[in-house]
Amino acid sequence: MNRFNEGSHMKNHGIIEKLKSRVPTVKPSSLFGWSVFWALVLLPAVAWAQDAVTQAMSVEYRDIPGLGSRNVVWVVAQQHLLLAGFVLGVPIFAWVCEIVGWKTKEARYDTLAKEFTKLLTSAYATTALFGGILLFLLIGLYPKLMAYLSDIFFPSFIVYCILFLLETVTLYLYWYGWDAMQGSRKTFHLFLGFLLNVFALFIMIVPNAWATFQASPVVVAEGTAIDRAWAATWNPTWWPVNIHRLIANVVLGGFICGAYAGIRYLLAASQEEREHYDWMGYVGNFIGVFGMLPLPFAGYWLMREIYQYNQQMGITLMGGFLAWLFILQAMLIGVLFLGANYYFWMGITYRIPGSERTYRRPILAMLIVLMVCLGVWMTPHSLVASLEEARKMGGTHHPLLGVFGVMSAKMTVANLMILVTFMSFIMYWRAGKQETAGWAKIAKAVMGALLVLAGIAVIVLGVWGYFVPAIIRINYFSVAQVLIVLFVMVTFTPLTAVLMRSAKTTTEMVWGQMPIRAGYSLVSNAVMVILLMSLMGYARSSSRVHWHVYGVMRDTSEYAYSPALGYAAAFMSLNTFVFCLLVAFIFWVATMGDKGKKIPEQDQPEPAKIPAGVTPAMAGGSPREKA
Amino acid sequence: MSEVALLQLIGLIVVGIGICILLFIKGKFLRVVGFVVIVLGTFTLIALGVPQMPSLPPAIETFDIAEVKTPDDLAAIGQKIFFSKGQCALCHSIGPSEAARCPDLKGIGAKLAPEFIYESLTEPQAYIYLDFRHEGLPKEYPARMPYIHKNPIALSQQEIYSVISFLQKMSGEPISIKVEDVMNIGKDNEVEVASLAAEGAH
Repeated sequence: MNRFNEGSHMKNHGIIEKLKSRVPTVKPSSLFGWSVFWALVLLPAVAWAQDAVTQAMSVEYRDIPGLGSRNVVWVVAQQHLLLAGFVLGVPIFAWVCEIVGWKTKEARYDTLAKEFTKLLTSAYATTALFGGILLFLLIGLYPKLMAYLSDIFFPSFIVYCILFLLETVTLYLYWYGWDAMQGSRKTFHLFLGFLLNVFALFIMIVPNAWATFQASPVVVAEGTAIDRAWAATWNPTWWPVNIHRLIANVVLGGFICGAYAGIRYLLAASQEEREHYDWMGYVGNFIGVFGMLPLPFAGYWLMREIYQYNQQMGITLMGGFLAWLFILQAMLIGVLFLGANYYFWMGITYRIPGSERTYRRPILAMLIVLMVCLGVWMTPHSLVASLEEARKMGGTHHPLLGVFGVMSAKMTVANLMILVTFMSFIMYWRAGKQETAGWAKIAKAVMGALLVLAGIAVIVLGVWGYFVPAIIRINYFSVAQVLIVLFVMVTFTPLTAVLMRSAKTTTEMVWGQMPIRAGYSLVSNAVMVILLMSLMGYARSSSRVHWHVYGVMRDTSEYAYSPALGYAAAFMSLNTFVFCLLVAFIFWVATMGDKGKKIPEQDQPEPAKIPAGVTPAMAGGSPREKA
Repeated sequence: MSEVALLQLIGLIVVGIGICILLFIKGKFLRVVGFVVIVLGTFTLIALGVPQMPSLPPAIETFDIAEVKTPDDLAAIGQKIFFSKGQCALCHSIGPSEAARCPDLKGIGAKLAPEFIYESLTEPQAYIYLDFRHEGLPKEYPARMPYIHKNPIALSQQEIYSVISFLQKMSGEPISIKVEDVMNIGKDNEVEVASLAAEGAH
């Protein structure tokens, strides 16, 4: 008899004892008769209990009638993941703002950092709540899979719990100690912020191991539990996903900050509020774009690793039933790039009076380049065509447009879009300023020449890519394109920073003058990022096709299929909407107290002034002027 | 009403609600909600406009031994497996193709002995492929060919032999795999491929 059966037996024995106590006292002679009677009554119960335990141990799946277990898990897991991205992205955002405020002595950055850290306590609890619900659902609905994963990853569960404890303690100290750790203790507070982000990073990468193991498992039969867990953790797609998610969380944090500022800007009742939230929107958009520029490179690395791990999985993603997903991805990324650029361009036009005439032509040129690139990126390899149309084209590949449907073209335009966005940012940074350094002209000429050369090199490599074997294109040409764009970014940024340090401001930046559509473009950017995260989550999960753990544990449930894109997109939209509402609720709850303790205007402290000679903290930002 | 049509209808209603909010409601926060609803509804409608292809799990194909009477029957089953469960056609072509990612298998049954094909399918790393495409000395290049007899493809021995029969047949070669030996695989467990190949195989 096994342990479980023993337990059930003991339990039933207890019931018998209880029932015995309720039975009236009987003569010893009739005891035998009672025993036989109760044995006859309770023996089936003992047998049923044993059956129930055995049955429970063999259950592979449970379902939720009407809703479907997978749909429920899909919504809860997506909410948990998006909230997790938010609570991991916001501390990075807040910490960077705090450092900027500390270094430049601009108090508003510190205030901004604090404002966002305040969100963390409620956001953290909501994330944990969804994590708990998800765990219960997974244990209940997928017991066999969870038993398998627990067997492999149990040591990492303990690490995860310890990390949560450390993160919680650090968060409490970081948030509640904010005011107490100003002045000489500020460096310790910054250290706490650093620790908070380190623990958050590890909290992200531990469950990443569980998820990536499902896609690219490394199963080791020998060794201790720790050996097996470590081998499974260090699977081929673990680090590419870690890096990709880390950057994506920064992007999410930045754009959600931007969306919050955008909505508050639209709701602002005073000019001062408009100025504050206009500036906050700028900072959020800046950090979002800052993270967005290297994100495609991280995505490219992840895809390369997937191809190297298993070519079939790579083909399923890029050339199989998920191929159309990447057209949708191109659309969302394209709209995001357009939205981010549009916000920069509006910033130049409305915040720096007189600049619109200077920058109208470059902005128009950039818009055209972005639109053309987006058109190429969105061109599918095989067109949806009727039989007659296909016959006329000589196949499903269009004779002209088919050329744009391949990876060589898409890599080229993706790099060009990154370059254009980067130049929008540089343009915004330089607008309204006049360089005074003697070498400024040479530096600008070198940057101009570098930009043109980089653009040409990216296009040449892209066209050349059509005439070489795929392996050469993937291993050398695409990598060279990425390196060229990165080179431009890492040379232009410090060079422009040095140039701007000595530049004189010709036109003061005016905050709070942005049109209403600026607020909407910030909201749109955040929605695009959330949709993109949902879309790529579906891609990652679907690439495993009918496997829980690819090649190791097959999904034998009735949900062992991946739904078509339309159905999946409806879920992504639902998830995005629910997440937006949750975040709005968190913001509302977190700022509820502020409304009650508003300081009368005459008692308000003077806004922090920037000491003379100090340059703006963030690229393109300008000192806050009292309206 | 099909699922796609139903979802399209819901998408249109959602977009309509968003437009109504923007047209008739003055509250700024609600207008933002209306804007978000329009964006999400439009996204869903676009996604419903592209080809809808769910990824269904492959039917668990079984090797019906009763159907096999001649080597041609074996090759016919092999052809089915080549294009379905075996996933060979995902990377390999038969004849030149721009879409092919791996070696063209046209005539492979005539060029290679069945033992070698069997080994290539079950031990793809047994021979180190030398990549001559790079400049300088040829580089050792590990094959990316999956182990066909292991998960996720996991062809049985009988299925592998039927694929080899197909490769031989489409290369114009006489099929050297003996039907009776393939039929005996289940009984004898391990049957060496050499014993299955007729004498005089390449």
